[in-house]
Amino acid sequence: MEVGAGEIVALVGQNGSGKSTLVKILAGIYQSDPGSTVTFGGAGDEKASLHFIHQDLGLVGSLSTVENVSLGRPERWVSLGLLPKRREVKRAVELIADFGGSFDVTRPISELTAAERTIVALARALDGWEHTRNVLVLDEPTAALHGSEVEKLFVAVRKAAALGSGVVFISHRLDEVIELADKVVVLRDGRVIGEAERGAYGHEDLVELIAGRTAERVEQRRSPVAGMPALRVRGLCGETVRDLSLDVQHGEVLGISGVLGSGRDEICSLVFGARRPVAGALSLDGTAVHPGLAREAIKAGLGYVPANRAQEGAVMTMTVRENLTLPWLTPLRGFGGRLVRAREREEVDRWAEKIALRPADPERTIALFSGGNQQKVVLAKWLRMRPKVLLLDEPTQGVDVGAKAGVYDLIDGAAAEGSAVLMCSSDEKELATVCDRVLVLSGGRVVAELKREDLSEAALVGAGLGAVASPSQ
Amino acid sequence: MQTSSIHRIGRALSFRNISAIYIFIAIFVLFSLWVPETFLSGDMWKALLASQAVTAVLAVGLVLALAAGAFDLAIGTELGLGSIFVAWLIGEHGLPIVPAIVLTLLVGVVIGAINGLLVVKVKIDSFIATLGMSSVLLALIAWISSSQQILGLSKGFQSIGVTKVFGIALPFYIMIGIAAVLWYVLDCTATGRKIYATGGNIDAARLAGVPVSKVVVGSLVACGSIAALAGVLVSANLGTGDPTIGPGYLLPAFSAAFLGSTQFRSGRFNILGTVFAVYLLATGVKGLQLAGAPVWVPELFNGLALLIAVGMARFETSTERRAAVRRLLRRRDRSPVEPEREPATVAAAEK
Repeated sequence: MEVGAGEIVALVGQNGSGKSTLVKILAGIYQSDPGSTVTFGGAGDEKASLHFIHQDLGLVGSLSTVENVSLGRPERWVSLGLLPKRREVKRAVELIADFGGSFDVTRPISELTAAERTIVALARALDGWEHTRNVLVLDEPTAALHGSEVEKLFVAVRKAAALGSGVVFISHRLDEVIELADKVVVLRDGRVIGEAERGAYGHEDLVELIAGRTAERVEQRRSPVAGMPALRVRGLCGETVRDLSLDVQHGEVLGISGVLGSGRDEICSLVFGARRPVAGALSLDGTAVHPGLAREAIKAGLGYVPANRAQEGAVMTMTVRENLTLPWLTPLRGFGGRLVRAREREEVDRWAEKIALRPADPERTIALFSGGNQQKVVLAKWLRMRPKVLLLDEPTQGVDVGAKAGVYDLIDGAAAEGSAVLMCSSDEKELATVCDRVLVLSGGRVVAELKREDLSEAALVGAGLGAVASPSQ
Repeated sequence: MQTSSIHRIGRALSFRNISAIYIFIAIFVLFSLWVPETFLSGDMWKALLASQAVTAVLAVGLVLALAAGAFDLAIGTELGLGSIFVAWLIGEHGLPIVPAIVLTLLVGVVIGAINGLLVVKVKIDSFIATLGMSSVLLALIAWISSSQQILGLSKGFQSIGVTKVFGIALPFYIMIGIAAVLWYVLDCTATGRKIYATGGNIDAARLAGVPVSKVVVGSLVACGSIAALAGVLVSANLGTGDPTIGPGYLLPAFSAAFLGSTQFRSGRFNILGTVFAVYLLATGVKGLQLAGAPVWVPELFNGLALLIAVGMARFETSTERRAAVRRLLRRRDRSPVEPEREPATVAAAEK
């Protein structure tokens, strides 16, 4: 892959196609496998450098804007000690003003809004932008921005490109890509599968390139069991979720869609009790449940697959076998609290086969498996308990494309066996494929409900964005 | 099936997994040739087994806390308090042996419980909580003993430390008993699984329904009472209560637990590896002493052994991960279809 001077190259691809991994390798966060090289072309004795804006911005939350901006430039630390801090502050104010920001630069980053943080990250990356041999890498910089802010960002990016820098721009939003990029590079499964110059592609062409020949999933017609809902939520309130009510029937897959900050990412943990709700009532099969302790929630018949697998989903230092049986060791117990190894092995082997674990060795530490296989194990540990309600938060985050189908099959299977599934996802296509019904969230409230026959990726994106354009407050 | 069990045995015998055994053999051969008349004497080995029993008891107690993800930096002073408290009860108050030991163990339980509650309820990091506790306990030891040795322990009490069975002093057998119980709990029971899960990832364990607070408190309580018992053994062995004895045990216990974690169970704190580590280090040190090494050599040996063993384990883990990635890539290159794709998808794609 090449990035010319003054060129804006957009990098697109599905979740897990390797975009973020590439950025992290370039930045030196991950180690690349041997045999890969990165070279800077061009003449001149200016130092070539890469500037990054990572997906999570890479700011230090406890430091102020001023300190964050100065952090990447050790040469200025010297002056920090000698000169009054005023100069740094003034510089920071100027920098953020370039991007239309006007907020207190001495407040800790953690107190700023998402949009303000993006501005700080941009300001930091573009600070001292005089060299021509630089490459700016933006990893989904627009995820937390509103329309007008995106425009400002684009102006800044174009300015940088006009100065002769190469820009690598990573985004999910294809319209942005079409607007901004001179060249589009499409990634799938960690490989470049297509390149196109500006004007040589339209929206549909890109979708086709990105998605590839998506295999048609066999439409599994499920019929949700009528009657008493498996999960009933009334008036649930959390940090962003406001007065949410929903019902999920046995055998139904209910999706939750919504942009970042809509409260989508909070619902599962609130229902499970991983986070304490401010208010709200839950009932399972008509029996009231008080969220709080995970143990109680599990006993009541809930299973929870969190979005952050390494931190909350699995014990990465343990083997697949140990992870799979952890929530429910009771049936494996023998005399004197002893775990009956043979019984455990047999059961785990059965599950490993069922979820097509690769490599099929449950005695390996789970950290050594691919994201997709890890996620299948996390799912299996709950499926083993035949939960009444399965809560899924971003079930295919960090899962490669090939393994996604496996995860969907497991979800289908759970619903077919009578579990009610609540699935929160930022991937509209996934929701459109898997769910029977999808609620669209905005500002913590449900703003639209789409039934099976109306479900499509476009309809979901439309509903989500429409909600942003006209906030319902 | 057969290949997988061969694989399993191969993994179990690899240098990475049981490097301590290979190193032990090397040390044994070295000193057997160097100083055969002293190093190969049976009495030397019997004395060695008994003299390291206290360290081993303390180290296996510590493994319980470490496995649950809690550092117990107070373990040395917990031992010191146990040692002085039992001597104080017997020597100054003339309590019979059994109630004195029971009371001492109770003190260990209480201190462990306080540690646990500080970690779980007050949410102080275990490192800091137990560091603070160890200082408090030092003060307590000085207060009880007035910083003086406590003499006049009964003969019956001292016999616990010096009675020999098959030529080896009693503390060795007590250590074996405790280690066996802890091994059973950690390796064979659901409780052990929950302890390891809590230590591995406390959030994931909580979300999987493990009562993590109980696990942490319970482990620290057990650790505290075992440390107190180790203190009792020290006093019985010395025949006095020594207020300065505790802190010196902290480092050997931690070294053994960390060195032990590199053995047998690849990176996991475990009882067998820890007991073995205690005796590996002691054998090396003993050999050096018999060969006439200067006094500072044992400390050097202990430190280097720990650094090298743990460093090597880290290195092996990262190479193992790299090898796994390489295998995956090779397989992808060989076959055009990713191994993970479902058969149905493949069929559809080929159409």
